[in-house]
Amino acid sequence: MRAGGLDIGSRTVKFVVIEDGRTVLARKALTSHDPLEAARTLIAGIQYDVIVATGYGRHLLKEHLDCPVISEIKAFALGAKAIHAPCRVILDIGGQDTKAICLNESGEMAKFEMNDKCAAGTGRFLEIMANALNYTLEEFPKAALSAEHAEKINSMCTVFAESEVISLTARGASRSDVALGIHKAIVSRSTALLKRIAPSGEVFFAGGVALNECIRALIAEDLNRPVVVPPDPQGVGAFGAALHAQKVGAATGGNNETVLR
Amino acid sequence: MSRTVEPLINDEYTGGPPTKRVLAHLQEKRRTGMKIAGVYCGYAPTELILAMGIAPATLCAFSNATIEAAETVLPANLCPLIKSSYGFIITDTCPFYGLSDAVIGETTCDGKKKMFELITDLKPTWIMDLPQVPDQEEAVANWAAMIRKLQRFLETTFGAHATDDAIEAAIRDINRRNAMMREVFEFPAGRPTVVGWQEIYDLTFLAQGSSGKEMEPILAEALWKLEQRRDNGYAYRPADTPRVMVTGCPVGGDAEKVFRIIEEAGGVIVALDACSGFKPYMTDTAEGTGDPVRALAERYLKIPCSCMTPNARRLTEMTRLIEKFRPDAVIDIVLQACHSFNIESHKVGEHVGRYHGLPFLKIVTDFSLSDVEQVRTRVEALLESC
Repeated sequence: MRAGGLDIGSRTVKFVVIEDGRTVLARKALTSHDPLEAARTLIAGIQYDVIVATGYGRHLLKEHLDCPVISEIKAFALGAKAIHAPCRVILDIGGQDTKAICLNESGEMAKFEMNDKCAAGTGRFLEIMANALNYTLEEFPKAALSAEHAEKINSMCTVFAESEVISLTARGASRSDVALGIHKAIVSRSTALLKRIAPSGEVFFAGGVALNECIRALIAEDLNRPVVVPPDPQGVGAFGAALHAQKVGAATGGNNETVLR
Repeated sequence: MSRTVEPLINDEYTGGPPTKRVLAHLQEKRRTGMKIAGVYCGYAPTELILAMGIAPATLCAFSNATIEAAETVLPANLCPLIKSSYGFIITDTCPFYGLSDAVIGETTCDGKKKMFELITDLKPTWIMDLPQVPDQEEAVANWAAMIRKLQRFLETTFGAHATDDAIEAAIRDINRRNAMMREVFEFPAGRPTVVGWQEIYDLTFLAQGSSGKEMEPILAEALWKLEQRRDNGYAYRPADTPRVMVTGCPVGGDAEKVFRIIEEAGGVIVALDACSGFKPYMTDTAEGTGDPVRALAERYLKIPCSCMTPNARRLTEMTRLIEKFRPDAVIDIVLQACHSFNIESHKVGEHVGRYHGLPFLKIVTDFSLSDVEQVRTRVEALLESC
């Protein structure tokens, strides 16, 4: 049985197909202004027997494709546990959300915390700040890692922080020092959220922001706890949804393959 | 609903906002010449107001529409309930405020206190100084003195009077009302529940400013219908639906979005632990004490609002509710910038998790629709863990 998981995030749509628990296909596309079209393109021509949706666009998809949906919190819990069996604590920093998830002994979600409703300290925040400093997303962490010291960023509001960055550069602060300051600001906010529900133990770090090597290094340094980053941190939610689809498929014995209208 | 049943209150207002029904009742009272006192909070002593022949009217506080006007004066980073209340007044869109001859407020929180200062010159307004360390021995005497002062204010403003015997009679009448309300709450305590949050909420909203005598026929009919539903095997939601207890700040109007999200996410709300829900009906006032005002002071100081410190009663009351309503999860609704409920949420979460082993979720929200999807994700994740 081929089970598909579709994670429609605020910035990126991820699609994973698994067969016997093993990933046979993983694709991504930008969510854009038309998440449904992005999802449609992503799954076009791919063979699957059963599919489950997660992420912010999950209900939108449900209206067009009669498939079960699960919250991204459950999807990340399922995915993380399957990728890294001892996993008890998950930090997911995505496009507009930061989530800290705590699992119990049997791998079920026990507690979770999410950031406030604004995108402060998320992937979107990083994108806007990179843009304000005229870095590409690839250059941004490298520049931060090369910095001598960090310029402190006090505001976590995306709009205010952008003004702060502009005034720092106007005062002649080094671009890379400001870059490091921005990375540190995101890390202290995320680790504070994490410590609220999981004060100790290894951390499984996922979501698009886990692709940023500077954030990864700073998180490990700030927490002083082992941090595990999976090979495809962005795809953990879609993988978790696919695992759930596999379970749904096994339970119904049939397939819910449907055409995306 | 598995099949349609007759609404608990079946009148021309059924299905609409509960405010319309209450407004019609108040307009009727107004026509008979009754004076009306606008109230904002559960600490306003209903028994005294009723004993003086005055009708209490809960003033509007739950609409996002009036917040923009309020923010021309008030800071944006303030509790939406206070902003909305003030916005209703300056835009003259709260019919209850329009009907009120006077307004009664309490010093529950800083935001309300300072907002009241901005409206005192519009109508006769009386602010009651609420003791906030309720277990200190002076607290009851001080609050009793404040109730007496309110009585004198209502005497001077309306020429209304009440003997202690009349206050005692009002206490007995409201105790009767509360007892009947608690009989109603027995039904969502059942599994499966035969009633949803909306119908329970409508009753709690209507009863708030009403006497026992007014509520008796309405509640008797509602109780009869609830018994019918139960005896006919009706289920509002299937028995295996996750049961949710909602606690925290008062919720109504635009904040009901959270209640709707809980139902859309596949949960059923079985207990409303807030001043906009069960709280006003859970404690009775002692009868026949010879000092009815002191008895009222004692009863009102037992309301477990987060403005009190310490507020251990909130947790003991919550345990009582959890044991009775057997929820599968607890959701604490905190209105943005309500510091006392927001901070207290930590204790509530620990209590719910450690003592009752139930999943817990705090939702900080306002009256706008901007966070609906974020709230939905949190609620769905919570219910998935039930």
